[in-house]
Amino acid sequence: MLEMLEYEFMQRALIAGMLIALLASISGTFVVLKRYSMISETLAHSALVGVAVGLVAGFNPLWIAVLVAILSAWLIEYLRSSFSLYSDAILAILLSGSLAIAVIIVSLGGAFNNSLFSYLFGSILAVSNEDVFTILFFGTLALALLLVFAKELYFIAYDEEVAKTSGIKVKFLNFLLVTVVAIIIALSIRIVGSLLIGALMVIPTVAALQYRVGFLKTMFLSVAFALLSVISGMTLSFYFSLPSGATIVLCVLSLFIISLVVNKK
Amino acid sequence: MKFKIPIFDVKNLSFSVRGQKILSHISLEIFSGEYVAIIGPNGGGKTTLIRMLLGLECPSEGSIKLFGKKLSNFKSWNKIGYVPQRASLVDANFPATVLDIVNMGRTAQRNFFSFLNKEDKVAVHDAMVKMDILDLQEKMVGTLSGGQRQRVMIARALASKPEILILDEPNTGVDIVSQRNFYALLAKLNKEEKITIVFITHDIGVIADDIGRLFTINQKAIVCNNPKEALSCEEMSALYGIEAHLIHNHKHEH
Repeated sequence: MLEMLEYEFMQRALIAGMLIALLASISGTFVVLKRYSMISETLAHSALVGVAVGLVAGFNPLWIAVLVAILSAWLIEYLRSSFSLYSDAILAILLSGSLAIAVIIVSLGGAFNNSLFSYLFGSILAVSNEDVFTILFFGTLALALLLVFAKELYFIAYDEEVAKTSGIKVKFLNFLLVTVVAIIIALSIRIVGSLLIGALMVIPTVAALQYRVGFLKTMFLSVAFALLSVISGMTLSFYFSLPSGATIVLCVLSLFIISLVVNKK
Repeated sequence: MKFKIPIFDVKNLSFSVRGQKILSHISLEIFSGEYVAIIGPNGGGKTTLIRMLLGLECPSEGSIKLFGKKLSNFKSWNKIGYVPQRASLVDANFPATVLDIVNMGRTAQRNFFSFLNKEDKVAVHDAMVKMDILDLQEKMVGTLSGGQRQRVMIARALASKPEILILDEPNTGVDIVSQRNFYALLAKLNKEEKITIVFITHDIGVIADDIGRLFTINQKAIVCNNPKEALSCEEMSALYGIEAHLIHNHKHEH
């Protein structure tokens, strides 16, 4: 176990991975409770457009991914609140639309190579020092926002209308939540990959919900499951040369199945 | 009474959806300390009226004032406790203890960085005592009975120390004994705590002794100042569009 910590790239990947596990599971709690799980998939594909632009134009793909994911999150929230469209239909439209744009940009720019592959499925080898700092900077900001507004977001997840009639700024906080989720997802695609990040955001919370405990305990359980999955997933990925994102997802899936069986009525 | 500023001052309110008129030229006032029941057929616009009063729907025309202020300028939402129609139908999987839910009643008053202070805790405790749910506080809301959930939802509304409580048919999924206790509780809140109550219900016979005024809503509003006398069979028939037989169910008879 300790052998892998001697490698600098593993140290970087573990720091980044644990921070992402923390962020994904906390934001995931609100997203799942709002019945908005699919937004993570859609934003991950939008982030891919940013990655494509970054790769082709030679900018830092992670920064552009954060920017595009935020814009996409705002568009989703605007369409959801201003038009009578079904939320899940909006997510499906933007998901495939984003992927199509990303593929066209990448193929026109001739950047269809391993570099894009690592953003699709995640790669611990590819995490640079710059990535760790980007994740630390935006991640701390996102975490702070989530914790400051946690009680309001919980109330909104429980009942949006009652929260509104209590004087809570529901529209602003909904925009804030999707913005924070967009940032977290864009940051995560380096480690987990855009095709798999949805799992790290949604599954730890759904597993935690099986224990039928109060809000804070559910959130703690969700964070614990996410951290455990990332650490064990990365360890397995290191020793068995497996893709990190997929291994992490299989670990969190195992925890979910165990939670489901243990709590079966 | 007219010299007092009404809690709700509604003038000439209309609401249409896709050209279909739901409410037409409603004007009414609700004063502090009143117990008002709102009845009317399903689809008659009762819930729409309440939703407009709370700023959840925008009227097509007309004006609403809350505590003397225009709805758009109104900020003191803690003065209003709202228990919506689906209140007792909580999602069984939602991770919330009774205490989590009642604490929500204080959420809007708290600053962003602060946890519950002593005043919040006292308000939450008082609300749970009033609703007799103190012993349930660690229980998951999903495991409670319909009647217990209903009391939890009202405790959440009471935790913000409201001056007015608005309840929209909160009896779905609640057994008859719990409903009776619930009506007694509302009457008590009105008389002893001086909380103004606006209650959308179908069980008008049961609460006729408690209420001060009755609004019947079916596109238009009819205000009855003496609910025990006001509703004749003919009026009920006209309101609901079916033949109605009134069964008087006053408290002293049982």
